[in-house]
Amino acid sequence: MLTRKISLSAPIFLFIFIFQEAVVNQFKLPGGGFSLFTIFALVWAVISTPEIAALTGFGAGILMDMSQSAGGPVGQWTLIMIIICYGVSYLGYGDGNFSGNPLGVVFFVVVANLVTELLFLASSALLGVTTGGFGQVLLTLLGNSLWTLVITPIVLPLFSFMHNIVFETRSAL
Amino acid sequence: MRYGTEGRTRLLFITLIVTALFLITLDLRGVAVLGGARQGVQTILSPFQKAGNFILTPVKNFLTDVTHLGRTRNQIEKLRADNAKLKIDLLNRKSADAQLKQLESILDLAGTAGYRVINAKVISQGSTQSFSQTVTIDIGTNAGIKNNMTVLSQNGIAGVVKDVYPTTALVMLATDPTFKIGVRIAGSQQIGILTGRGSRSASLQLLDNLTTVKVGDVLLARGSVANRPFVPGVPVGYVTAVDNSAGEIAQSGTVRYYTNFGGLGVVAVVLAPSSTNPGDALVPPKPVPTPIPTVTVYVTPSPSPTK
Repeated sequence: MLTRKISLSAPIFLFIFIFQEAVVNQFKLPGGGFSLFTIFALVWAVISTPEIAALTGFGAGILMDMSQSAGGPVGQWTLIMIIICYGVSYLGYGDGNFSGNPLGVVFFVVVANLVTELLFLASSALLGVTTGGFGQVLLTLLGNSLWTLVITPIVLPLFSFMHNIVFETRSAL
Repeated sequence: MRYGTEGRTRLLFITLIVTALFLITLDLRGVAVLGGARQGVQTILSPFQKAGNFILTPVKNFLTDVTHLGRTRNQIEKLRADNAKLKIDLLNRKSADAQLKQLESILDLAGTAGYRVINAKVISQGSTQSFSQTVTIDIGTNAGIKNNMTVLSQNGIAGVVKDVYPTTALVMLATDPTFKIGVRIAGSQQIGILTGRGSRSASLQLLDNLTTVKVGDVLLARGSVANRPFVPGVPVGYVTAVDNSAGEIAQSGTVRYYTNFGGLGVVAVVLAPSSTNPGDALVPPKPVPTPIPTVTVYVTPSPSPTK
């Protein structure tokens, strides 16, 4: 069951990752822009069980580590995404006010995105990866959060629909 | 049953965390497999990035025009008069012309210094989510690109090659906070270190406490050992502010890069430097103020009517 869900999810993740790298990254948006792939992974995690969310974080993190614009060592984004995806799913799982409510999901994703960036900064400091001056970091954090707040409600219905397709599909004998 | 599921989830979570830590350790120890994986992914992604760049160029141009509405109002009004096909043609032509202009300027710069360069097109902006400033160019090891080669824009330094793949390369822009370059002041030959700050301005730290710098001084690259990562003589920027704090050992200041990093379309990678140091030959000419025509009106009184 789990294997089938993963095999159905993987192409979707790959597609969104390629879309992020080939299309979204073409635009130099003010405030640092947004990461559609991170938003997708977080939405997927929020509306999944903690077990699926941890695996989602692992897969998404590996892909983010493979991106050429990933600043740190391979595994850094993997570690962060596992923690964040598991965390948001664990906190929201079973609580319909969050995981079943679009506003709750948007709130969770925006906050989780901000925490993801902060964790990246913290782990970068530990691993010796330079991340820039305070002002620039603050601007990126603020810009990224605002973009996430704008983009998430737009893409949430589509991502939720895709999640339903993958997780509500029953195998036929 | 519930406890069993929770236990399995926790075990999975811990296993994944350990795996991630394992990957970080391997990468920090320089295991080649992980670098190879990243390179493989980049090789797969580069055709998609090139296609994305090709398809989205008209859209990007359109957005650029919108953001520069005040400056390009006349042009937009003219474009409105055309039909949809002509609009797209015009935008494509405009893009090509702009890149050609950039290319000509780059070749002029490289030709004056005697650098052997290879031109490249910027096909993707790096994500700023990792707080780094990078672009991807459409040439790689197949074209002779190697790590730590100087990258030029039409006006001067653009960055340095950070990672190379067979058909693409990642360029760390001079605005990246980790970017550092040894510079000298044109004319006085004082030396210092320039550090990126994430924007078009950079920090300059002079090395000698006996020398001084003043606003407007032009900075050139000092060059590196074996000319990598930096070839000498490349224009970097000019000083916009000087910090004369009493507590500082040597003077520091703020520098504005010559390169407009927001509009990088075409760049050149220096394959080989000139046989001789170009010295100050590449110092950009100071802008000549455009004279404002003065209109003088002479009023001659009409002859008074005779009585």
